[in-house]
Amino acid sequence: MIILHHILSLKLKILPMKYLKIKTSFVFVLAMLLLTSLSVFAQDMNEDAVAAAKSTASNINWLIVGIAFLLVFIIGMIFDILSKVGDVQKKPVINWGKINGILSIVFIVVGLAACAWEFVVHGKLTFFNLPAASAHANEYDDMFMITLWLTGVVFVVTQILLFWYTYKYREAKGRKALFYPDNHTFEIWATIIPGIVLTVLVVRGLFVWSDMTSSRDKNAMNIEVFGYQFAWNARYAGADNKLGKYDFRQMGVVNALGVDSLKENAGDDIITSELHVPVNQPIYLHFRAKDVIHSAYLPHFRVQMNVVPGLPTNFHFTPILTTNEMRAKQDDPKFDYILLCNKICGSAHYRMKMKVIVDSKEEFEKWLKTNPALTAKGTETNNSFSFFSKTSPLAFN
Amino acid sequence: MSAVASHADVLHHDDHGHHKETFISKYVFSMDHKMISKQFLITGIIMGTIGMLMSLVFRLQLAYPNTTFPIFETLLGEWGKGGKLDPNFYLALITIHGTIMVFFVLTAGLSGTFSNLLIPLQVGARDMASPFLNMLSYWFFFTSSCVMIASLFVQGGPASAGWTIYPPLSALPKAIPGSGTGMTLWLVSMILFIVSSLLGGINYVATVLNMRTKGMKMTRLPLTIWAFTFTAILGILSFPVLFGGSLLLVFDRSFGTSFYLNEIPADLAGGIERVGGSPILFQHLFWFLGHPEVYIILLPALGITSEVIATNSRKPIFGYRAMIGSIMAIALLSFVVWGHHMFITGMNPFLGSVFMLGTLIIAVPSAIKTFNYLGTLWKGNLRLNPQMMFAIGLVSFFISGGLTGIFLGNAALDINLHDTYFVVAHFHLVMGSAAIFGMLCGIYHWYPKMFGRTMNESLGQIHFWMTIVSAYCVFFPMHFMGLAGVPRRYYAFTAYDQFNVFVDMNIFITYAAFLGGIAQFIFLFNFFYSMRKGKKAVQNPWESNTLEWTTPVKHLHGNWPGEIPHVYRWPYDYSVPGHEIDFIPQNTPHEGQEDPLTEPQTIPTPERKVAPTLAKEEAVLFTLVKRWLGFA
Ligand code: HEM
Ligand SMILES: [Cu+2]
Ligand SMILES: [Cu+2]
Repeated sequence: MIILHHILSLKLKILPMKYLKIKTSFVFVLAMLLLTSLSVFAQDMNEDAVAAAKSTASNINWLIVGIAFLLVFIIGMIFDILSKVGDVQKKPVINWGKINGILSIVFIVVGLAACAWEFVVHGKLTFFNLPAASAHANEYDDMFMITLWLTGVVFVVTQILLFWYTYKYREAKGRKALFYPDNHTFEIWATIIPGIVLTVLVVRGLFVWSDMTSSRDKNAMNIEVFGYQFAWNARYAGADNKLGKYDFRQMGVVNALGVDSLKENAGDDIITSELHVPVNQPIYLHFRAKDVIHSAYLPHFRVQMNVVPGLPTNFHFTPILTTNEMRAKQDDPKFDYILLCNKICGSAHYRMKMKVIVDSKEEFEKWLKTNPALTAKGTETNNSFSFFSKTSPLAFN
Repeated sequence: MSAVASHADVLHHDDHGHHKETFISKYVFSMDHKMISKQFLITGIIMGTIGMLMSLVFRLQLAYPNTTFPIFETLLGEWGKGGKLDPNFYLALITIHGTIMVFFVLTAGLSGTFSNLLIPLQVGARDMASPFLNMLSYWFFFTSSCVMIASLFVQGGPASAGWTIYPPLSALPKAIPGSGTGMTLWLVSMILFIVSSLLGGINYVATVLNMRTKGMKMTRLPLTIWAFTFTAILGILSFPVLFGGSLLLVFDRSFGTSFYLNEIPADLAGGIERVGGSPILFQHLFWFLGHPEVYIILLPALGITSEVIATNSRKPIFGYRAMIGSIMAIALLSFVVWGHHMFITGMNPFLGSVFMLGTLIIAVPSAIKTFNYLGTLWKGNLRLNPQMMFAIGLVSFFISGGLTGIFLGNAALDINLHDTYFVVAHFHLVMGSAAIFGMLCGIYHWYPKMFGRTMNESLGQIHFWMTIVSAYCVFFPMHFMGLAGVPRRYYAFTAYDQFNVFVDMNIFITYAAFLGGIAQFIFLFNFFYSMRKGKKAVQNPWESNTLEWTTPVKHLHGNWPGEIPHVYRWPYDYSVPGHEIDFIPQNTPHEGQEDPLTEPQTIPTPERKVAPTLAKEEAVLFTLVKRWLGFA
């Protein structure tokens, strides 16, 4: 408290500005400084080697925040003095109209440049830069790109006009605005043109949407994806390609998924904690949740569907690039497809994921056989059977 | 200022005696719409500050997930043990941040402030249709805010299921600690809030329909009033649905029913097995309010900007009737698009197509509004004061955020974008930033009307530039995170190697967010400082046409000391050819006009006034472009 008083009186002497004359406002500023520089108190968790380096780092953070604050403050005061001078001279010293006009131009130029930079630098990190991993992904990406181009053009043109007008038509003494309340021709075109553009987008969008949601391959492999706080399981249907019935009362009793192995079709089901799928094989995912809503999101495949307790949902897709092929294309030997949870579901939502691996047919068969079915008998049937033998319902031609 | 200043400031002083106002009746349980509007504003600003500080806390977490901040432990106690934010508390923070921003700041804070202030003043009424309901509306809102804030301090923490509180997460206390007492309080607070919003809405509509002064035809209403009216109608029609939906959730939570629950084993649901309901039902009920809600937020902001842009361009708003038409179209369509929030809930794909169609149609009236704003600026004489800059900023955000809506409204594209940071970027631009800019724009513009003083202009300009730069720096990069599949509502991105590339971006965003935070403190300082020390306002500081500027600077019950002025013209007679002064207030008769309702035929009405249309020979594209750029 004494120190505070000391600083206060000191400041008052050095900076006899009107803001600082008021004690409360100074305390206010101090509070702001405190609040806005929480990073002052940052410490690294592993306090060993980097401790020294880190402490200077946080000092610098503190300095940046402090300096930024002071800068703003000083600029504010300068403007205030100037406006006072302007009041005395009866003629404003700072002409905000002009400053704003120029800043608008700077803003739009720098802003658009920054946009372009973002597209170049961060655009690379988006999925639209990866080879499509599923059969429908190309169609999806085309739709995306068309929308991007159309909206992009509108974005650039309207933003430029907006800030250009701000600059161009800023107030000038002696000029009078144009009285121009209406122009029906313009209004009509301003309705028709967006109408046409949107019709194009809607029609095309509807086609893509129905392709993605309604196509069903009779030979698709049925896999159940089961979500619960906070992990995923996959259940393969086994040789019969039919998923056995579950009972929600048995979840965590007979097994985590509540699938009674003695029920019809259930014996040969295989429960795993990784999702392997064979390449070029249509997959029919059936989703089920135990407790709350989750969402199964497989971004590389442009697949997402909510996983809702008590409400069956599904998604149909065909992977077209194996994990290895993708690793090669990406030049990243550690790359993996993922299924992540994309609906808020509790404390560990942020790490509720499952590895997804796209195998070649042979690899897939091999992997599946290493996993036991729910009953020993089921395992046997599965072993004597190949998904891709000519006679199986999942045959390939 | 000839006609406007006809009532001198001194006149009403004798008027004051018979009210016998006590402190309580004047400042606390006030029934004066101007005071109520200030109450809404101050409460809104306080809530907004809280919401903003929360966002800074979780931004720190997102930027430095591996760093400890001992200050968290000091501030948050057990939620920040060892200086690490608890994951559950992170979810609680975003939930309350979202709730506060959407409902408390941009619904009550925005509509409550400006509908209350402007409806009686701009239509020419002495007060609201029911001042008493109006007062109740504020006090319900106030109680609701208190309950929401109180919920931060209960056992288990506040509601943490996201501001959309989807069951079963919000229904099962076992699923997340915040779904205990915190969620109950959230629901109680929301129910109080809805009551407040309905009381306000009914009042607004009744006032606009019944209490206009002589000559104030519907087609002479300022666009602010049109926007507020449709906002109120939207609220009246959609909030009751959320009310019902919330009550059913209360039943599910407290009385063992299963409206929203199916196949939930007994041990998860308080010992009662829940079968037969549907979690998706709640989403339908929620978004039936939720989508109109975003227009409840946006329309008043657009109304405010229309007024401010016209006044400060010294030009009539371009396409007045088209503006009204698009407000109506947006209001109507907003009731048939809620399903675009639910494309991937497993809803029938055909239903998805219908909602997609509706959603993309809404883009047309939105585009018209944008073009009309540009048309208003074109060849204007722009006074670039802070409110005008904020209005221009709103248009910029409305464009940026509106365009990304075209991606999200496309059901097919939504499959990969739903619930990613692309959505966070989208709604923060179009709903968050745009509406906040509309609100700030309104505050700078009507501050003289509310407090009798003007805010410091330079601080306002600095506030504007810092805010727009920081808002774009915070939200624009988030699009790219979304396009790379980064989900929203994640406590940290550390569990995924492929998201590591965004570490730098997250740090940058947090810095930008702090810059924005500093800017808001400048605003707060300016706001409270100017209340006492600001420059004294004159009666019509912005040389505006609307009726609120014909009232004296000093507030009085009943608004006008003498008779309520009559209205002779529409509100946008700026820079009328042949007039020396570039504005003609609504209460100024045309030459020779006696009946307020009929404008003399000799003087063309604004609607009929022949605008300089584009001449035939000019219709070449090149000339057009030159013209639009202002070179011709
Ligand atoms: C101070 C500037 C703001 C910052 C830095 C900010 C930041 C954020 C961030 C990063 C999230 C996402 C957190 C997550 O998904 O994990 C979020 C959520 C949200 N914000 Fe903001 N925000 C700001 C202002 C606003 C405003 C003005 C609104 C008003 C509409 C708003 C409404 C929301 C909503 C509705 C959510 C979603 C909450 C949920 O997921 O349930 N925010 N905010
Ligand atoms: Cu989750
Ligand atoms: Cu919506």
